[in-house]
Amino acid sequence: MIRSLRARLLAGIVGGMALLLTIFSLLLYALIAHALVGQFDASLVSIAQILATSVERDEDQIEMDLAVQQMPELQDSGQPTYYELRRLDGTVVAKSPLLETRDLPRLEDIGKTPVFTTLQNPDGKPLRVVGLTFVPRNADREGEQATAQPTNGESLALAVARDAADLQRQLRSLRWLLTVASGVVIGLSVLIGTVIVGRGLRPLRLIAAEIAAINVDDLTTRIGAEHAPGEAIPIKDRLNELLSRLEASFNRERQFNADVAHELRTPLAGIRSTIEVALTRTRDPVEYRDALSDCLEIAAGMQSVVNNLLMLARLDARQITFKTEEIRLAELVNSCWRPLADRAYERQIVFENDIGEMTCRLDREHLSMILTDLLDNAVEYANEGGHIWVAAQQTLHSTEITISNTGCQLAAEQVTHVFDVFWRGDSSRMGTGTHSGLGLALVQRLVRALGGGVTAELQQDGIFTVQLTFPIRQ
Amino acid sequence: MRLLLVEDYRPLRESLAKGLRETGFAVDATGDGEEGLWYTMGNEYDVIILDLMLPGMDGLEILKRMRGEGRTACVLILTAKDTVQDRVAGLDLGADDYLVKPFAFEELLARVRALLRRGYQEKSPCIEIGDLRIDLAAQRVWRGPEEIQLTPREYALLEYLAMRAGQTVSRTDIWEHVYEFSSSASSNVVDVYIGYLRKKIERADKSVLIHTVRGRGYVLGAKS
Repeated sequence: MIRSLRARLLAGIVGGMALLLTIFSLLLYALIAHALVGQFDASLVSIAQILATSVERDEDQIEMDLAVQQMPELQDSGQPTYYELRRLDGTVVAKSPLLETRDLPRLEDIGKTPVFTTLQNPDGKPLRVVGLTFVPRNADREGEQATAQPTNGESLALAVARDAADLQRQLRSLRWLLTVASGVVIGLSVLIGTVIVGRGLRPLRLIAAEIAAINVDDLTTRIGAEHAPGEAIPIKDRLNELLSRLEASFNRERQFNADVAHELRTPLAGIRSTIEVALTRTRDPVEYRDALSDCLEIAAGMQSVVNNLLMLARLDARQITFKTEEIRLAELVNSCWRPLADRAYERQIVFENDIGEMTCRLDREHLSMILTDLLDNAVEYANEGGHIWVAAQQTLHSTEITISNTGCQLAAEQVTHVFDVFWRGDSSRMGTGTHSGLGLALVQRLVRALGGGVTAELQQDGIFTVQLTFPIRQ
Repeated sequence: MRLLLVEDYRPLRESLAKGLRETGFAVDATGDGEEGLWYTMGNEYDVIILDLMLPGMDGLEILKRMRGEGRTACVLILTAKDTVQDRVAGLDLGADDYLVKPFAFEELLARVRALLRRGYQEKSPCIEIGDLRIDLAAQRVWRGPEEIQLTPREYALLEYLAMRAGQTVSRTDIWEHVYEFSSSASSNVVDVYIGYLRKKIERADKSVLIHTVRGRGYVLGAKS
């Protein structure tokens, strides 16, 4: 298998050319050889016919017209023509004086239609022989005139032969001519093919050079259209699409890294400046304790960011296994709410669990993480004295859980971003440190990993609802 | 010297404000962008320390609007964004300096001091008026060979007068540059502190340095 497109195209062009030339040459040779041999044979036949008509039978005597025997063709010693007349039993009646003592070979299966063959003369020269049988006419005794009607009687075999060296030479030079011409044409086609293929593949080389010039640091470059022939445009387009996707994904990655850096740098700056300021002078133990507890709080926040990041990375790498079990939803929601109840009570937020007797088959640990995150978010965002409620309903195919809270400060267009990694609404979250904007993004990945879907919706009066949908597998 | 600190991360904001106040600066601090802009419009700050990613309003937007209103206070951007583009964008919008988190508190202080000197066209970190010498970096004061111990507030007052040495400084100016927005001090307090300061730097046989300009304020400088 030839891997190079150039070699493959070249082989195709040259091979095709050679095949066509061979067929063409063979055809041409066959035609010309047929015509030349035909002409040669025709002249042999005409001599044979002249000879045949000159033969007369007189009683048992067979004679050949002397004038005919003096025909110049039969005398020419340069390219001599021989004849031999035999009876069917093989006895020679007459033969060309040029044959001297030799005989022409007897041809098998000859009839009235001429039969041709090529023989090797003892002197090594090729000899083209025509053989035919005929019935000689009877001599007209009265008027010395031959009757036109051949009479029935004994047939005679006539062989006429001529030296075919010239013919063979002609055919040989024709073969040479065609072979050499084909060779030259094939040789030229290799040269021309190389140039054409090289030119034809130039756009590919240019595209390759353009691709080679693209580096990871700058994926905004696209492959230009100016060099591309029609066939390469789809390749170019696909490559450009691929580049666009790569660029988008690199940008996301870059943004993500920048966000991670930001998420960790700010609390790090907090720890550092808290400690540095505490160390600027000798202080009361109470002040040191305050500084330390501030640092502890910041460290806890950073730990939660790191944990969430790890969880995201594991979800993306599909390294988390799920254990499906029967879950009583209302109980799970209550157990998720318990740790948040104090915070909600402080802000006089009313919680309502509207889920009745309902079970679903999911991974308890991860569903619990999802519900905790969403409830925590609701407590964070709900207005003081607000309201949080959880409801669920089941159809034949799915379980839907909705978590709603009042007092949402987001604008409708901001709701579409709540699942973005590191996005955060800018209302009341400032400075809490424990909320990193990873929460809802993590919820979305977890829900998807569990095979479900999650949507967020802002209703009138600032009611923010997150709906979880999990399919029921039969 | 009066500073505004706009930073939304509470622990950082509180520790920075505390550290800066202990150094003798009057510090107004907020975690909200819009509130930050409102502070810049209503007060004369010497240096504004500005975070970029803020709730309410982006730090760069505050900077743009502030400069649009002709506010010339020195701005130091304090942010976790560290790409060249971010720095260039901040500086091009009229910021005077840029510090990437996390940073050393000492460096922040040094940069704030540098910005203050720039704001008052004072290149040297040491100001000398007659035989009074103020080391702005170490925050120490000498009268002749003798070092004078000042409280941070007294030092802040002296530093402000020294930065504007030779000019008449009104009580309102002093009040605005030396006291915090949240403090309950009135301009009477200025007179009281001027009194304390005079006692310490004009002791005994020393000549008068702080002169009262009747109805207008005070001037720091040797009488010509």
